[in-house]
Amino acid sequence: MAALWNWIGQRWEVVALALLAIAPLFVPALGGALGGQVTTLFIYCILALGLNVMVGYTGLLHLGIAAFFGIGAFMVAILTVPLFPFQIGWLVATAVSIAVTAGVGFALGGPVLRLRGDALAIVTLAFGEVVKVTLRNLEQVTGGMKGLNPVPPPGAGVTVAGTDLGRAFAVDPRWFYYLVLAALAGVVWAMRRLESSRLGRAWAAVREDEPAAAALGISATQVKLSAFAMSAAVAALAGCLYAATLSTTADPNAYDFNRSILVLCAVILGGLGSIPGTLLGVAILVGFDTVLIPAADSLIQQLSGAADRSSLLSLASWRLAIFGLALVLVMRYRPAGLIPSRRLAAEWGHGRR
Amino acid sequence: MLMAVFGCRPADPGVVRIVSSLPRTGPAKQQTDSIVRGIRMAIDEAGGHVGPFRVEYLDLDDSTVAAGQWTSEAEAANARRALQDPDVVACIGPLNSGAAKVSMPILNFGDLLMVSPAATAVGLTKPRLGEPGEPEVYRPVGRINFVRVVPADDLQGPLSAEWVRRQGIRKVYVLDDGQVYGKGIADLFADRCREIGIEVLGHDAIDARAQEFKSLMARIKSSQPDLVYFGGTVQSKGGQLAKDMFSAGIDAVLLVPDGCQAQAFIDSAGAAVLDGRCFVTFGGLPPERLTGKGAAFVDRYRREWGESPDGYAVYGYEAAGVVLRAIRDAGVKDRLAITSAALAIGDYDGALGHWGFDENGDTTLGVLTVSVVREGRFEFAETIRTSDMAAESPAE
Amino acid sequence: MLALFLLQQCLIGLTNGGLIALVALGYTMVYGVLRFINFAHGDLIMLGACAALGLVAPLGLAATGGPPSLATWLGVVAMVLLCGLFCGGLNVAVDRFVYRPLREAPTLAPLVSAIGVSFIFMNIGLAWIGPADRGFPQVVPAASLLPGNVVQFGWKDLLVMVVAMPLIVGIMLLMRTTRLGKAVRAVAQDRTAAALMGIDVDRMVATTFFLAGFLGGAASVIAGLYTNTISYQMGFQNGLYAMTAAVLGGLGSIRGAVAGGLMVGLVRALSTAYAGERWAGAIVFAVLIVVLAFRPEGLLGHRAKEKV
Repeated sequence: MAALWNWIGQRWEVVALALLAIAPLFVPALGGALGGQVTTLFIYCILALGLNVMVGYTGLLHLGIAAFFGIGAFMVAILTVPLFPFQIGWLVATAVSIAVTAGVGFALGGPVLRLRGDALAIVTLAFGEVVKVTLRNLEQVTGGMKGLNPVPPPGAGVTVAGTDLGRAFAVDPRWFYYLVLAALAGVVWAMRRLESSRLGRAWAAVREDEPAAAALGISATQVKLSAFAMSAAVAALAGCLYAATLSTTADPNAYDFNRSILVLCAVILGGLGSIPGTLLGVAILVGFDTVLIPAADSLIQQLSGAADRSSLLSLASWRLAIFGLALVLVMRYRPAGLIPSRRLAAEWGHGRR
Repeated sequence: MLMAVFGCRPADPGVVRIVSSLPRTGPAKQQTDSIVRGIRMAIDEAGGHVGPFRVEYLDLDDSTVAAGQWTSEAEAANARRALQDPDVVACIGPLNSGAAKVSMPILNFGDLLMVSPAATAVGLTKPRLGEPGEPEVYRPVGRINFVRVVPADDLQGPLSAEWVRRQGIRKVYVLDDGQVYGKGIADLFADRCREIGIEVLGHDAIDARAQEFKSLMARIKSSQPDLVYFGGTVQSKGGQLAKDMFSAGIDAVLLVPDGCQAQAFIDSAGAAVLDGRCFVTFGGLPPERLTGKGAAFVDRYRREWGESPDGYAVYGYEAAGVVLRAIRDAGVKDRLAITSAALAIGDYDGALGHWGFDENGDTTLGVLTVSVVREGRFEFAETIRTSDMAAESPAE
Repeated sequence: MLALFLLQQCLIGLTNGGLIALVALGYTMVYGVLRFINFAHGDLIMLGACAALGLVAPLGLAATGGPPSLATWLGVVAMVLLCGLFCGGLNVAVDRFVYRPLREAPTLAPLVSAIGVSFIFMNIGLAWIGPADRGFPQVVPAASLLPGNVVQFGWKDLLVMVVAMPLIVGIMLLMRTTRLGKAVRAVAQDRTAAALMGIDVDRMVATTFFLAGFLGGAASVIAGLYTNTISYQMGFQNGLYAMTAAVLGGLGSIRGAVAGGLMVGLVRALSTAYAGERWAGAIVFAVLIVVLAFRPEGLLGHRAKEKV
């Protein structure tokens, strides 16, 4: 029994993902609007795991993850929407998009590697703004503020056993639920493997002590660049899934600084470098915004049936403050995050500044 | 209770539910308050019943506080929610054309009737006028489910240009907010200006997050336009733009489309700044010029809310009226039947006058109102009709 | 004519730059002592602007078209002082209750707390002035001081100069010459060593937060009077440009923040003039990336010795 608990403790996320996989059988609401909201949550989880590579594993503060999220989404849209001649399948487009975005991450990483800490953070922020404005202004390619749409659902036009997959994806949120859950499981598995791989240990070494790592023959440049590219690739995957679930890229403002900040907060709140921590952080912060608040507000509306909703009474008008207070309080009482990674916890425990 | 919240209740054969999906937070709230009031009044007028059904109404928000305007995610979530709720037979909305592009392909799968009181981008309904592939891309099942009671931008943009020509204005500078609605209407306006021989000195896009536009205005000033056109809304810094334009000493009038027709626009720009030199176009007649059912609605609105309705209230009322008529005509609680009944409405006697839907689901109304801002209010100036343009414009 | 156009754009750029510099000082000073970017600073300024709007009527100010009277100038000065005290006090309170408990925490903890504070501020602003843009009365008119209608330099632009300049010079002198300034700089250089020398570190940090907040409060008054619009979301854009300016000039450097602010203002105005408004934001940030790629410490920053 104790062994079982121990196993669950170590493989926390495996149990959670398994429970989520069977959840639609017991929670019929996941076939409705809730399913779509939870799917969005999973996409943010993937994005956060991508950011965690930079901030958690390698210790580089990154404030522009949404730019890579956006590049991924727009890339997959360019390759699939009817407006352009490519119109290749969603899966292939996703693969191409991930590769291209990783390349962009690599290219950004090169010139700014000399920067440390906060200056690097501001450069990633600036990069995010440049990408947003560029996406907005290159109207021939990105559709500008209109975005690109419709992004066909995965398997559009493919009929399996009498079911048109494209229609199935559009009508029943459970299809996207399982697709995104599978992608999330894949990313979690890959991150677990990375943590204990040669590259993962190199990231940690550079984070802990760059000169010492260099003395051991680790090329900090290569290690950091690989973190940039890996982070961008995972973010791009999230972007591809995002565009597919929404059937549009949304407008470039959807990929602005606010989104980067939200994901960064989720990673730090949950616990830097910790996979279960990151997932929990997203579940709390993004879940609050996309699932809890709309549900609570429509409940209030149905109970009161108010003709004109009083803005001060609705929870939505205080969501920013609730959100902010949560961030402040968690940092006050759990400064290393809700579920700190063991390695980092040990490090802080030894009274480093 | 949780089931009810997430929209998974079992169908109730005696109830038809109408939802609206509009930005209920942020600067557009005033416009959507008007629309929602109009919707509620139409349903109340019908006694809360249509045919054998009891009518329920649910007011959904497609904006978030953090964004301050509509978001794709919220609009898609609302659409999915409406689609999954078997009692929902019609969706009124959205306000923004960009949001319509998100929800149209989703709701099309259910043949769920959408009636927009405000989304005016041409590509949503009209073949060939929008981008390649529009509007078919919004209709994956190949049938129309989106209609609108408001005239599209191919009325407002070109007729605005026509009005400019009649004022004897020769040089214009065009700005837009880069959004679906604002850029669309600004492009149509600029194209028509060039066609009828008005010089377009420049066309730039602003960032709706910018705090001020002083250098932009200095640049515009150096090109000496007679008129500045801003394709945008009160949500995208229309007020700030007007303020900076006049304080830069630009001796030109400002023309804005219906997205700025809201008291919030005048309040944020300042009544004195706009007085007599800011003109607003609006598809359809202004509430105070309505006759018959429209005048009756305006009276009832004043009694009920203690203020005069703006144009959006009338469109909300009209949209709900069309939905109720379609349900009555169909006589059954069936989404496809109701959508077909709506598209078949050829002669509707409503608050906006006698009109109907054409083969694309667009209104047959073809009148544009130009108002001028005077003493902090929108004051009726004149109307222009499509027929005027056809008669007077040079050969195309 | 072309030269005059360029002159006009430079004037606009420098005026905006003065405002940005005032905000950037707040970032750079707090960064100097605590080594973290105070993300809530932009929203602190938004709250200052809300307070300024509330002060217009009580101070007997009103929108006017003519040259400002002495009473108007006195009212504006009172507004700057009151909003400065308000923002300074608020900043000290936030430091006391939010950041001080985190002095020994992991380096990213104060950053996330600051983001949290920024959300709380925004919500307070939202409840205070509502979701829409609010007009700020034109207390100081835009009417130009220069003859002709080609180049404009109005009372409003003059206002930015006469408020921002003395404050910027004052803070430079304060930091350079007074005992207080020396103490703050000592804390910025090495907190532990400063404490060993008998400097009350917490008090110096609080002083820094007060000064940063005071400058922010003054900036909020200028922002209200200059753009004549405030909204609960205004902190974001103001903060972003100022943060860029602080990094561009060199984080922690007072002179750098001023130079960075003026440069951001100029780059933005000139990009609008010659590349179009739609690219202006991107060009500012692209300049930042390029400058940092060649000078990682910023224009006037010191190359920090790496702690090994």
